[in-house]
Amino acid sequence: MTNTIKINDKTFDIDVPDDMPLLWFLRDHLEYTGTKFGCGAGLCGACTVHVDGQATRSCVLPVSSLVGKSITTIEGLSKDGDHPLQKAWLENNVPQCGYCQAGQIMNAASLLKNNAAPSDDEIDAAMQGNICRCGTYQRIKKAIKSVAYDLAKEV
Amino acid sequence: MNPHVLEAMSHGGKYLNSEKIENSSRRSFLKVASLATGGLAIGVSLPSFASNEITSDNGDFNPNGYIHLYENGDLVLYCGRCEMGQGISTALPGAVADEMEADWSHVTVKQGEGNRDKYGPQATGGSASIRVMLEPMRKAGATAKLMLIAAGAKVWKTSAENCYAENHFVINKINGQKLSYGELATLAANSPVPENPTLKSKDQFRYIGKALDRHDQGMVVVGERTYGVDTKVPGLKYAAIVHCPVLGGKLKSLDKTAALAVKGVSHVVEIERLNVPYGSVGGVAVVANNTWTAQQAAKKLVIEWDAGANKVYNTNTYKKQLVKNVEKPAELVLERGDLASAFESASQKVSATYTGGHLCHAPMEPNASVVWVQKDSCEVWASTQSPEDIQKVLAGFLKREPKDIKVNVMMAGGAFGRKFKCDYVHEAAAISQAVNAPIQLIWSREEDMKTGYYHSISAQHIEASLDDKGNVTGWLHRAAFPAIASLFDPSLDRAPASSLGDINNHPFGIENFRSETGEAPTHTRIGWYRAVYAIFYGFAFGTFADELAHKAGKDSLTFLNQIYDANTNPEQQEQVQRSKAVLALAAEKAGFGKKLPAGEAIGIAVHHSFHSYVAMAVHVKVDGDNIKVLNVDCAIDCGQVLNTDGATAQMEGAVVMGMSLSLYTEITFKDGAVVNSNYHDYPVLRINEMPNVNVHIIDSDKPATGLGEPGVSPFAPALSNAIFAASGKRYRDLPIKPLSV
Repeated sequence: MTNTIKINDKTFDIDVPDDMPLLWFLRDHLEYTGTKFGCGAGLCGACTVHVDGQATRSCVLPVSSLVGKSITTIEGLSKDGDHPLQKAWLENNVPQCGYCQAGQIMNAASLLKNNAAPSDDEIDAAMQGNICRCGTYQRIKKAIKSVAYDLAKEV
Repeated sequence: MNPHVLEAMSHGGKYLNSEKIENSSRRSFLKVASLATGGLAIGVSLPSFASNEITSDNGDFNPNGYIHLYENGDLVLYCGRCEMGQGISTALPGAVADEMEADWSHVTVKQGEGNRDKYGPQATGGSASIRVMLEPMRKAGATAKLMLIAAGAKVWKTSAENCYAENHFVINKINGQKLSYGELATLAANSPVPENPTLKSKDQFRYIGKALDRHDQGMVVVGERTYGVDTKVPGLKYAAIVHCPVLGGKLKSLDKTAALAVKGVSHVVEIERLNVPYGSVGGVAVVANNTWTAQQAAKKLVIEWDAGANKVYNTNTYKKQLVKNVEKPAELVLERGDLASAFESASQKVSATYTGGHLCHAPMEPNASVVWVQKDSCEVWASTQSPEDIQKVLAGFLKREPKDIKVNVMMAGGAFGRKFKCDYVHEAAAISQAVNAPIQLIWSREEDMKTGYYHSISAQHIEASLDDKGNVTGWLHRAAFPAIASLFDPSLDRAPASSLGDINNHPFGIENFRSETGEAPTHTRIGWYRAVYAIFYGFAFGTFADELAHKAGKDSLTFLNQIYDANTNPEQQEQVQRSKAVLALAAEKAGFGKKLPAGEAIGIAVHHSFHSYVAMAVHVKVDGDNIKVLNVDCAIDCGQVLNTDGATAQMEGAVVMGMSLSLYTEITFKDGAVVNSNYHDYPVLRINEMPNVNVHIIDSDKPATGLGEPGVSPFAPALSNAIFAASGKRYRDLPIKPLSV
């Protein structure tokens, strides 16, 4: 029986070397290039995806360990790019080069799923693993808070 | 009018096949053509660049297709400069759209491919794009608007004076009728080309001076913006590389057995050093069917290197030597007035030495490109700041003509100066040639940090004299650092006089002055890093001025105004006034001088670089070794601002980069090789330390100047001054909290 993995609601066979991290399965095998390579060591967060809803660094996670799991990448975060965070990112003009932003958004989405109204310190703690060399941190924080505020109102 | 066949509009080929020129103004800097599918194309020749005067014997010419207006109203604006996150591909097209009275929602921005003849100089650095390109782009937009108005007037059989343009329409003032730009596009291509279109006045701007959304952020947030690292072409093979760790070293022995045994690996390719400034340092590459396999196999290469002469390089001892070299007389660069007398009659003498380490750009996207070298062609897809240099370097390497190297300019995932150099593209070309396939080479982060073009390690020593009123009467400034010029002339044993220009021309008013350059041989590749020498010049001037203020018993703001006011050089009065104005604004917004809780203070600094002026007021809280930056007020004067939101973003980013290099980032060499390897031992600022940044823009009608770099330099001195005011501890060596790697 072939081992399979679900990515953005589509099922794929895992037919690559066992030690290949999910990142390269996505980028080179499936050609889903929205998830970025930044450090290869889980230090920068550019490769962040969701594994069963939880933000995870895909560059250090062998795809063979994910049999039967459900993965969401930036391409699958929302149907029409209308996740509240994607809208907030546009509203706040967050991206500069934009390279790290898929990872930032995926990490923030996981944060808000677990905590609809994080404090500043909780945002810092959750987002610390994601580096942005262009320096968009102030806007990232503002965008997350704007969504958190809306979510909190709904609760 | 004779129709001419257009040759060079293949660019954007799905729209443009075989257009004929219907109308042109040979003497004009503008080139106009109609599009095959109907519509108007306008290009710009930049008069200041001779190679862009496009003529040929048979009368053909290549219009630079910057503006393409289609019959459905779609407007495609090409950006010839490279985008790396600085926002140029929004700012310049925004200015065209404004002058053209175009509706931004109908605009698609496309990145121009590498072609200097079409686009003028494309090398993107020195914060120069807006300064050089704004006016020609505005004129092109204004011309298109006048041609559309003329077309409307023709339809209505009235004069152009009776018509005006507004938001993608031409409107008839007499009867209120409207025609859309799309409807008029083809007719407009036949309108006469106005020679000197009047540009809009400030009150007429639609986009210039406003906050304009970036054209591409919608793609970014859904993961569809593609960077150099994302290129896929049929038959692509993937490569990883290990470089010679010491500049000038050679391969001594290579055992590739284990690497070749890895399933999926097809080749191991030795890459020789290409001894040109932007060529590879030499290394060994592994080719495989995916990047991961190539990277893993590269770790199995057994390589012995002969390190060569640069193995003597140890930055810890080198920095100490630089300090010695500036604390003794060095080679004279410039002398003004009578420094010896000034020092003799001083009421106080003050001296200090400032140092800083090498920096590595470490953009989030490592160096990456796809290159396909074939017998008769060479095509490149690369994140780059300089397609022209890729063409030159590959032409030299492959022994072909630069024009035969096709460069697709990809969005760079950050660059900061690193991607001006194309060693990584040369390597991909060498591999492609060796294995006869398109190659994607992505450097690992480790290779990125170990094989850079580093910001100079530096030392500066300043001695100054004060009179009894606290006026600065004399200033001796010695600098020692391996200069960028050493990349082009490795025999240099110190920074050339030209590299000290920003010391000699600093707008402080100092009558008796002397600058000297100290010995600083080069052992690695030095490159432009965002803000370049302004990083350490800004730090030394800004920090030393604060030290002088304390010695003179004055607050920094008063002292800085005094030292600027002492400048009597008529040619520098504008610099003086604009420096003082940003300083005053930053100080006022931050509440400089207000009472703060114990352990908190505000430091200020101002620096003029790349033709722009930036002052920062940094508010810190210091508790022992714990330094927390609470707030940064940043005042900028870059003349006329194109995109206020883009300008603000550049300053926020400059604070982050300034804070990273002030506190953390430093590249260390041991035995000629870089010790740092990834973000754990080259830590950069993270979100938890992000201060609140407020950006204040001076409203100015002066010519627009760039902002990519000028914001970086005032941060470090303002921080150092704030820490001193809060704690009494003076930091003169950057970074303040180095990791001992």
